[in-house]
Amino acid sequence: MNWRVALIALAAVAAVALLAWLLQGGKPRVEQAEVFEAVELPTPTPAPEQRVILLFAGNDGMLHPELRSVPLPEQVHERIRVVMSELLAGPRSAPRLSPSIPYQASLEAVFVDQNGHAYVDLTAPPEPLTGSSTELMLAYSVVNSIILNCPEVSAVQILFGGHEVDTLTGHLDLSRPLVLNKRFIASS
Amino acid sequence: MRRIQLILIVLALGVGLLSAQDYDRTFEFHFDDRAIVVPKFGPKVEVLPILELLGAEAKFSPSAGTYGVLYGEHVIQFAVDHKVLLVDGQLREAREVPSTSPGGVAVSLSYLERWLLSPIGFHLEPIPRGYRIVRGSRFADPVAVRPVAADFGTTTTLVLSLNREVAVDVEETEPGTITIRFDDASPQLDRSVPFRSSRVRSLTSSDQDLLVSLAPGIGLISWHPLETPSRVTLELGPARPTPTPAPVRAPVETNRGPRPVVIDPGHGGDDIGAQSPTGVMEKEVTLAVARRLARVLESRGRAVRLTRDGDQGRALTDRTALANRLDATVFVSLHANASTVASVAGAETYYMSIDGASDEAAAATAALENRAGSSSNERSSLDLILWDLAQAEVLNESSRLALAVQGRLNARLGLRDRGVKQAPFVVLTGATMPAILVEIGFLSNPSEAERLTEPESQQHLAEALGAGIEDFLGR
Repeated sequence: MNWRVALIALAAVAAVALLAWLLQGGKPRVEQAEVFEAVELPTPTPAPEQRVILLFAGNDGMLHPELRSVPLPEQVHERIRVVMSELLAGPRSAPRLSPSIPYQASLEAVFVDQNGHAYVDLTAPPEPLTGSSTELMLAYSVVNSIILNCPEVSAVQILFGGHEVDTLTGHLDLSRPLVLNKRFIASS
Repeated sequence: MRRIQLILIVLALGVGLLSAQDYDRTFEFHFDDRAIVVPKFGPKVEVLPILELLGAEAKFSPSAGTYGVLYGEHVIQFAVDHKVLLVDGQLREAREVPSTSPGGVAVSLSYLERWLLSPIGFHLEPIPRGYRIVRGSRFADPVAVRPVAADFGTTTTLVLSLNREVAVDVEETEPGTITIRFDDASPQLDRSVPFRSSRVRSLTSSDQDLLVSLAPGIGLISWHPLETPSRVTLELGPARPTPTPAPVRAPVETNRGPRPVVIDPGHGGDDIGAQSPTGVMEKEVTLAVARRLARVLESRGRAVRLTRDGDQGRALTDRTALANRLDATVFVSLHANASTVASVAGAETYYMSIDGASDEAAAATAALENRAGSSSNERSSLDLILWDLAQAEVLNESSRLALAVQGRLNARLGLRDRGVKQAPFVVLTGATMPAILVEIGFLSNPSEAERLTEPESQQHLAEALGAGIEDFLGR
C-alpha cells in the first residue's frame, strides 16, 4: 500500500513541477530572448517657430504659396510630418485657395534614404481621381512643399495606401521620386 | 497497479502535448555559438531580437514611424502594416507586411530572409526547432541598368550605368547578339530615359543576362568594366569578316511608307478619363478630336496613325512604343482635363521634363572627375556629354512643337492660354521623336465641357492642332 501512496505523491510532485515550469513560460533551456522595454523618451523641448511655405491649388489651376509660422523640429522626418500635417489641414485663405489633395487623406509613413530622397505614404483616394491638373496639383504641392521646407530632401516620391504607383490619373510618372518643379507655382 | 499505470500515461501524454504546444509558440535562432528563443505569432516571428543576435542595430524611429536596421554600410527601413520598404536607398515592395507584436514588430520568415537578412548578407537554414542564421545572401538584389548610346562616325559607344558594383562578362554569343552576364544578379533595365542608336536595335533582360541586339553588319570591338560609378562600356563597330560567309539575313521590317504623324487619343476602354458634370467622358472627346485631326492632316498629304481607333484600353508605354516603331515624325497625345476647382479653364501643351536631370548632371560630373584614369574613362565622359546634348536636342524639338501647337490653339480658338509646360508624363517618356501632350480644355468646367462636345468646336480644335503640327513639320 505504501508504495502506491509513494507513487501517487511522486505523480503529484511531477504535476506541480510541470505546472511551475509552464507558468514560467515553458521555454527550453537555451538563452532567453532579450526583453525589449519601451525606451523612456526625454521630454521634447518645444521646437522653435519658423515660417513654412505651403502650396495650395488656386482658382487658376496653379499652386499658390501660403506662409505659416509653426514649430518646426530639426529632424527631417519630423519636419516632413509637420509640413504634411499643415498641407493636409488645407489652406487658411479659402475660398481663394483650395486643398491640393482633394480627399480626406492622412500621412501613413515617411521614409528618407541617405540620398535625400523622401518617400511619403498617403492614404489612397477612396475613388479614382481624374485630370492631369488634379494629379499635378496634388503631386507638386506635396513634393514642392516638402523640398522647400526641408533642405535635406532633394526629391520626393508619393506612395498611396502603402504602394508604389506608376501614375494616379494616367499622366504623371509617379514611379520615381520627383524633384522641385516651380513651373506649377503661380508667378504672382 | 493499473490505476498507477494510467496516471503515469496521462502525465507522460500531458508533458508531451504541452511541450509540443510550446514549440508551436517559439523558434530557436542560432548564430555562431549563440542561440535565442523567439516568440512566433502564426507565421510571423518577433524580429528585433534576431537582428540584435547578428549584431545589427535595429530601432524604431517614432518621428518616422519606421524601423531602421543598421548593419555595416547597409540601411533598411520598414514599417508596420506597409509592404513598401527602403533597402539601401532603393524602394522595394514585399509580398506581406510586418505586424506589431509585444516586442515591437513581427515578420514572416520569408520577409525576414528576403528583406532583412539577405540585404545584409545572411540567410536561414532550418534546424530541428528553428533556424540557423548563416553568412551569405540567398537573394542578390537586381542590378538597375541605365543604357546610354552615342553614335560616332563608324562606331558606337554603349555605356551601361549600374546602380552597384557587380561582376559581368561580355561575349558576342552569335553574330549580331552580345550577351552580358551578371554575376549572381538579374539586370533590370531603366527605361526612363530615351535610348537611341542607329547601331543597337534593342536591349532585352532575361534572367541573369542582358542581350544586346545589333544592327546588321555591326559587332563587338571591345568592352571595359569601369568603377565609381559602376559602368560597362561596349565599343561597337563594323563586324570583323568571318571566315565562312554569314547567312543572308532576312531584311529588317521597317515602316516602308512615309513616316506618319502618330496621334494618341488619351484613355479608352475601362479608363474613361475625366468626366463632365453631364457625364461626357474624356475618352470619347479625345477620340472624336483625334479622328478629326487625322482627317485634317491627311487632307494635307500626311500619313497618320492613331494609337487607338475605337474604345480600347492601351497601356501608356504601348502608345509611345507604337510611335517609336513606326518612326513617327511627331507624337501628339490628346487629353481633356479636370480640376477640383470648377472655374479652371483653358488649353495647355506639355512636353517632357527629365526630372532626374540633376542626377544625370551629377553622373556626368562624377564621370568627368574620373578622367585621370584610363582613356576609356575619358571617352565615356565624352559620351555622357554627347548623350546629354542629344537629349537636349529632342527636348528642344518637342518644345518647338509644343509652342507651335499652343500658339495655334490660342490664335484660332481664343481659349484661355494656360501656356506650354514641362512635366514628366508617362506617355511622353521614351518617345524618340518630338512628343507633346495637349490638354484641349477642362471637362470639369461646365461651359468648356459643352464646347468640347460640340462637333463644330471639335473641328475647330482639330484644325488648330493640325495647323500647329504643320507649322512645325513644314519649317
